Amino acid sequence: MAQYLKPLPTITPLNQPYWDALRRHELRMQRCEGCGHIFYPPSPLCPRCWSRELRWTALSGRGRVNSWVVFHQAYFKGFEGEIPYNVAEVELDEGPRLMTNLIAIANEDIRAGMPVEIVYDDVTEELTLPRFRPCNRQI
Amino acid sequence: MPDFNLKDKAAIAGVGNSPYGRRLGRSPIDLAAEAIANALDDAGLARGELDGMIVSFGSPLGADADTLAALLGLRLRAYSQTWAHGRFTASCIQWAAMMVSAGFANAVACLGSWSLSHIRRPKFGGAGDREGAREAGGGHGEDPVFGMTSPGAGAALVARRYFERYGANSRQLAAVPVAFRKHAALNPLAIMRQPITVEDHQASRFVCEPLRLLDYCLVNDGAACVVVTTAERARDLRKPPVYISGMQPLPGGGEEFIWAYPGLGVAQQQVFEYEAGVQPVYRMADVTHKDIDALYTYDAFSILAWIALERFGFCKPGEAADFTQNGRIELGGELPMNTNGGLLSEGHILGWGHQVEIVRQLRGECGARQISGAEVIQWANCYGDSLIYHK
Ligand SMILES: [Zn+2]
Repeated sequence: MAQYLKPLPTITPLNQPYWDALRRHELRMQRCEGCGHIFYPPSPLCPRCWSRELRWTALSGRGRVNSWVVFHQAYFKGFEGEIPYNVAEVELDEGPRLMTNLIAIANEDIRAGMPVEIVYDDVTEELTLPRFRPCNRQI
Repeated sequence: MPDFNLKDKAAIAGVGNSPYGRRLGRSPIDLAAEAIANALDDAGLARGELDGMIVSFGSPLGADADTLAALLGLRLRAYSQTWAHGRFTASCIQWAAMMVSAGFANAVACLGSWSLSHIRRPKFGGAGDREGAREAGGGHGEDPVFGMTSPGAGAALVARRYFERYGANSRQLAAVPVAFRKHAALNPLAIMRQPITVEDHQASRFVCEPLRLLDYCLVNDGAACVVVTTAERARDLRKPPVYISGMQPLPGGGEEFIWAYPGLGVAQQQVFEYEAGVQPVYRMADVTHKDIDALYTYDAFSILAWIALERFGFCKPGEAADFTQNGRIELGGELPMNTNGGLLSEGHILGWGHQVEIVRQLRGECGARQISGAEVIQWANCYGDSLIYHK
């Protein structure tokens, strides 16, 4: 695989299971066994009820575009060749939002509320990123 | 509601600044020293009477309070410092008001200072940006893995969300930088004084779409300082006191995103219709919106002015796009905002340039850009903190 020049995630004991799951092509987030709350970013306890009974639960990988931006200026060497590139905030069906890039769509065609689904992008042998692409679905 | 009985108990006794500019070639300590000396001189206080200091921002780009105390030969009874973000201006002044009221110090210099002269192409975000490396992500939504970086990108995310939710657009947003540049043209301290039009704004390049170059503040060097004392002490000093009559602290939590009020629906915020209600700062100062002669806000990005207006109830969510049109926020308008030109045009002095301007307005020292009859002025920010000053 060619050398990967983009920034790598800051992996900590707290978020390691998230990245490990992506490597297996699963999107998992913490679900509180106490109150059912599913949340992101990872936390040592449920932000809603403070339970520490948390389980890394598989999610649908489906959601909608909540907001997005398009970078016209290069900040990172690794992204220079992709200007203008998008960064989108996707709201998952289960509630949490995550930052991602939308693929298989022109930047001009991105719309708020657009349904999207996850694509597991194996960018290195150790790292898989969750990106999203438009999908067809009823309401 | 705060019940320290602190209304009008503390005052700004003096203000001072260094020159503001790009590549001044001076260190942040040097700039801070000049601003502090000017503020003491403005107040008529001797160096030995300064016994407190609170710095917002600090190294590596700014000057730290401990270093300043040592190098300027001060003997401080109390000092403190916030971390290197621009959002703590009001917090610093609030602490200073509490410090002088508690007798921890008699005169507290509150300041921000920074210099980017040594950086070849100064910008925020990208490689080496510590924000993006924070555990659980950056304070402005940074997530470098996806190329999401810089405070402006977080503001762009808010702007897009706002545009989509309320049907506003970039052309309407131009009213903010156009107004502030008009003000800067009347301010000898301001870095950018050439007037701009809506067309100029629309023709300026996107940095992080939907925000354009003219939606972004300047990056520059400079320092500004205000000296807080008890109101009683201030009355005996050289200049008329500017009283701190209302204070509202900086809120935090999962429903907050730095550039958005709760309910807007950015980051992990829930989506609901935000209601400003009566913000505590007005109750403490015992004033209403009608009494506010001018509003100053942290305008690192133009959209933040809209968010602040709605957060504090000058208009309802989604209405700032219309509210800011037709000169309403310009000098001579119903609610002049950032008459110094703001971070967008006067320069980015970490919010301290605004405090200096507010004090000078309330003293009637602002010449061509003086707001006639200004008596009550508010500092209120998109992230929810505020001060109300009166003469
Ligand atoms: Zn829970």
